[in-house]
Order: sequence, then structure tokens, then C-alpha cells
Amino acid sequence: MTARPLGDIPPIGLGAAPAATPRRRRPSAGIGGFATFRRAYGGGIAALALLLCAFWLVVMIVLPQAMMLEQSLWSRQSAGDVSLRIDRAYTEIDLLRFDLQAAPAAEKPAMEEKVAALEAEIATLEAQEKEPPKVYGLQNYTRMSGLHFYIFVKTILYALLVTLLSLVVCYPVAYMIAHVAKPAKAAVLLLCLTVPYAINELLRVYAWLMILDYQGVINGFLQTIGLVSFEQKTWIPFLESPAAVFVAMVYAYVLFMVFPILNALQTLDRNQIEAAQDLGASTPRTHWRVIIPHAKPGIAVGCIMTFMLSVGSYSVPQIMTRGLSGDWFSQLVYRQFFVSNDWNVGAAYSFALLIVCIVFIFAVMRLFGVGIRDIAK
Amino acid sequence: MSRSRLADALLSGYMALFLVYLFAPLAVMSLAAFNAYPYPSVTQWRGFTLEWFSALVHDARILRGLLNSFMVAAGVVALSIPLGLAGALVLTRLSSRFGGLLYGALVSPVLTPGIIIAISTLVFWRPLGVGGGLFLATIAQSTFIASYAMLMFMARLQRQDRSLEEAALDLGASPLLVFRRITLPFLMPSIGAATLIAVLQSIENYNTTVFTIGSEWTLVTEIGARFRFGLTPVINVIGVIFVVITVATALTWSALKRRRPHTA
Repeated sequence: MTARPLGDIPPIGLGAAPAATPRRRRPSAGIGGFATFRRAYGGGIAALALLLCAFWLVVMIVLPQAMMLEQSLWSRQSAGDVSLRIDRAYTEIDLLRFDLQAAPAAEKPAMEEKVAALEAEIATLEAQEKEPPKVYGLQNYTRMSGLHFYIFVKTILYALLVTLLSLVVCYPVAYMIAHVAKPAKAAVLLLCLTVPYAINELLRVYAWLMILDYQGVINGFLQTIGLVSFEQKTWIPFLESPAAVFVAMVYAYVLFMVFPILNALQTLDRNQIEAAQDLGASTPRTHWRVIIPHAKPGIAVGCIMTFMLSVGSYSVPQIMTRGLSGDWFSQLVYRQFFVSNDWNVGAAYSFALLIVCIVFIFAVMRLFGVGIRDIAK
Repeated sequence: MSRSRLADALLSGYMALFLVYLFAPLAVMSLAAFNAYPYPSVTQWRGFTLEWFSALVHDARILRGLLNSFMVAAGVVALSIPLGLAGALVLTRLSSRFGGLLYGALVSPVLTPGIIIAISTLVFWRPLGVGGGLFLATIAQSTFIASYAMLMFMARLQRQDRSLEEAALDLGASPLLVFRRITLPFLMPSIGAATLIAVLQSIENYNTTVFTIGSEWTLVTEIGARFRFGLTPVINVIGVIFVVITVATALTWSALKRRRPHTA
């Protein structure tokens, strides 16, 4: 094993690897590159690696996303009047058949023709009713109701807030472990952070459910000091407020901010900090001009991970609201798929969420001036 | 000097608060596992009991969920480790102008919310007649766990001294032999670590799994379902077990590291 602390390895293994020497890139095109590749590992392994890579890329990443996009771009024409028209046609046929019995022979062929035409119409209508035609367009996106759009915007704002709050809370923690604490103490602290991080997300959130519950720890405390009473049910309903989801979410994802920043800060030479201080820089100025610029890639990774996890979190709102209300966008998506059974709208919502994440990633990369290779190091 | 000592004291105090913030909720959750009250609570204390531990052992759905979790994790390891390795080899050794693009594409699952990966997997496999279940959960999880594995392999490959491979090739070893005797052993520690991470990630995953699991269930989706129906301290018992295993692993790890600081 390399000398890496335990905390480095899980998800934020993203930021785990110390920057190795940048790989030598030859300006060769694909074919020449493959020749070198084959020379190094032999045709069999080279081909197998390429094949696996292609499978992963095409079958597991690109095609599923493409199909999700495709699914979001059409809907079955909800033909509300089709069944009505079928009913009407049936009634008409019945009437015609009744009239046929009394009709003069000369009119009979014309009437029979009409019946046949109606029967043909019924057949097409019934086929349509069974399998309505696909209509392509942006209707799944544009028909998002006001409430759903409100939840969409609210989810994004909350996720941004979770990210910002996590950053503020975590920066001092990461800085302390990386540069203030003595090595032995830093190792213990790192271990302390790793333990809650390794415990299941659901259980971590559940702990907050117990604290904020009607008869939870906070209400219990308030009862002890006589402010509320369980018997009279005068407890404060924390769980009914969206803030409960927010609090639990900060708790659930806060550590995804610590580890990337920590990894970035650990590569900062202490001498740089001391040099800044010797030259008379104040503590805030040292942070602003020396430490934070060095931590940029870590901050970027932390922000991206935290935002991505919170904006797409299904577990936290599901547990905090016990699945009784759909306060978070991810829960709406789930309902579209498994309750309303409308996969087209579900795919559209899901794709909208993906766009939000992509925009956020590029915005963060732009803001911190880092590239994709710095991000997933 | 005293000013910086004050700053250090403030920072230490802040750190202590942060640790309380991290651990107090876990303590509350663990405590409720030993409360005789049938609804998870620490405020309604009805005496110490271990009955929820025996209830857990007799809970067939939980045990089946655990088994399912292990099956999915095994599948995820079998799929994501080869995929991650292939991706890492191609990206570090095959120089091509598409390298940057390919890298972005293969890393993207890490940066995509789990529910989106799950939904796209679901949409892709439905026309092929494959519905939600353990298989789809395995596929969806592998999509992003393979990316983590790949990043770990790449970090290791970039530190490799290529001269060893070149020397072996010059001395007439076949590329296959070089791969088997030099590259693979060099990667072994990373393969071990990536396998461990893959298993942990797979077992812990909820957001991706709950969308792809269909009518089956894993330990974690079963826990998730219990929040809606039948919430009992059995869930807290699972929490206690998670805490104990994690703490034990962490302590063992640090003890090992202390004993062999250069190898652990």
C-alpha cells in the first residue's frame, strides 16, 4: 500500500492522488497511439482494454443518457376524445343496422358501405387508443406545472445553500488538520472524520430524524425546561418544515467537502505560509492570497460533489419527510416513474436536473480556473 | 505570538464543536437501540434491553436484503474493476487526441447524481425487456463505481516507472508476460483498495439502487422502506452495528499503519 490515510480512499479518492508528473503526451493521432499501446501490452490485452472501455462508454454511459434524452422528448398523444369517438361510432353503427331492417332495398348498399366505413374508423381509433402515436416536442419540459417548477427552483437554491454552508464550515476544519495540528493529532482527527463518513448515509440522516422528531431530543429538552408538553402535543413540528431536510442534508454531505480541501491543502508547503507571515501578511490576508488559491482545486471538487449529492439526493428528503410529502425534486422524479408511471415526464425532469449539474460544474470550473483533470485527480 | 495562540485555541474549540456535531447524532441513534420503547426514541426511556438485537436476527427481510446487497456488491466488483482497469490503461498509455474527451466521459458518472444514472439505466434496458431488479442495480452502480476504480488505477499507473516494463520487453518478454508479471503486480495494491471501495460503495448505495431495484430489495433500500412503514429500533441496531464495524476497522487500520508506517 502507499502511505495514504484511510480517509483518502473513499469517494474523495477523487482528490486522493498526489499530483503525479503529468503524463507525456505525444502529439500523435489515434492510430500511432494504438501501435504504442499494443507494443506495450500486446494485441490481446490492448484489444480487450479497448473493448471494455468501449462497452462502458457506449452501453453504460452514452447510450443510456441519449435514450433518457430521447424519452424526454416525446409523449403519447393523450387522446381524451378517442374513446368518446369510438363510443359514438358504435352507437351510429347500431342505429344504421336498426334502420337497415326497414330501409328500402335501393338504399341498402349505401348504408352497408357506411357501416363498413364506421367499422374501419373504429379499428384505427381503437389502435390509437391502445397505442397512442408519439408526438415529439418539448412538451414534457414546458408543461411542468407551477408547483413542480417551484420545487425545482427551491431544490437548486437549497443545494447551493448546502454547498456554501458546507464550504464555510469545512474550510477551518481542513486547514486545521492540514497545517495547525501536530501530525499525531492530525491523524486522530482524520480518523474521527472518517468514522461518520463511512457510516451509511441513511443512518446518518436517521440520527437527525430522531433529534428533530415530535418527541425527539430537542422537543424532549424543551419539555424538560417546561416549554412544550408531549401529552398536550404542543411540541414544535420541526419535521414539517423544509429546514429539517436542509439541516440533515448539510450533516449528510459535509464531509464530502472536508476531504477534497484537505487533500489540496496537504500539498501546500508550510514554508509558503510562514514566508507570507514573515513578510507581514495578516492571517486573513495569508489565507486569501496564499492558502485559498492553493486549495482551489480541492474547493472546486468539494463544491461539485456536495452540490451534486444534495441536488440529486433522494434519501435525505425521503427520510426526513418519511415519504409522506414530495418536497424535493428527486422525489418528484421518483413519483413520475413509479407512481404516475409517466416515464417521459420523469425522463424530462431527470434530464433537467442533469443540465443543472453540468451548468454548475462548468460554472465552478470557470470560477476557480481549474480544468477537468484537476477536478477528478 | 499570543495572538496566534488565541487563534489556535479558537480553532481547536471550533474543531471540538465540529466533532460534537458529527458524533452527537450518532450517539443518539445508537442509544435508542437499547431502549425498550417500541418506537425509536431516547426521550421515552423504558429501560435497557437487547430485544431489538434478537429481533434483527429473526428479521427475514433484513437478512435477505443483506444477502442481496452482497450479491450486488460481488457483481459490481466483477464488472467495475475490469472496466476501471481498462479505462485507466487506455487513458494513461494510449496517447490520442481524444484522450481528454474520453477522460471526461469516463469520469462523468462520478459527477452525475445517482438518480440520473439509475434512470438512464432503467430507460436503456427497458426496451430490451430487462426491468428493475438486482441485475439492473448492479449495472447502474458499476457505471460510476468503475469511475472511482479507474481514478485509483490511474493515480497508481502515473507513478509507475516505465523503464521496468521497457527493460522486460527489450529482454524479450512477451507483452502478455510483461503485463502479468510487472504491470498487474504493480497495480495489485490499488486493485485491493479499489475492490474494498467498490464493495463499500455498493452496499451503502441508496439513491441509485432505489430507482433500479424493482420489486427486489437490498439492506439499504429495505432500511429506506422502513422509514415509511414499521419504523422500530431494529434500524437503530443496524446503525450500532455499522458504527461498531466502522470504528473497529478504523482502529485496526491506524494500528496497522503505526506498526508498519512505510507499508500500510
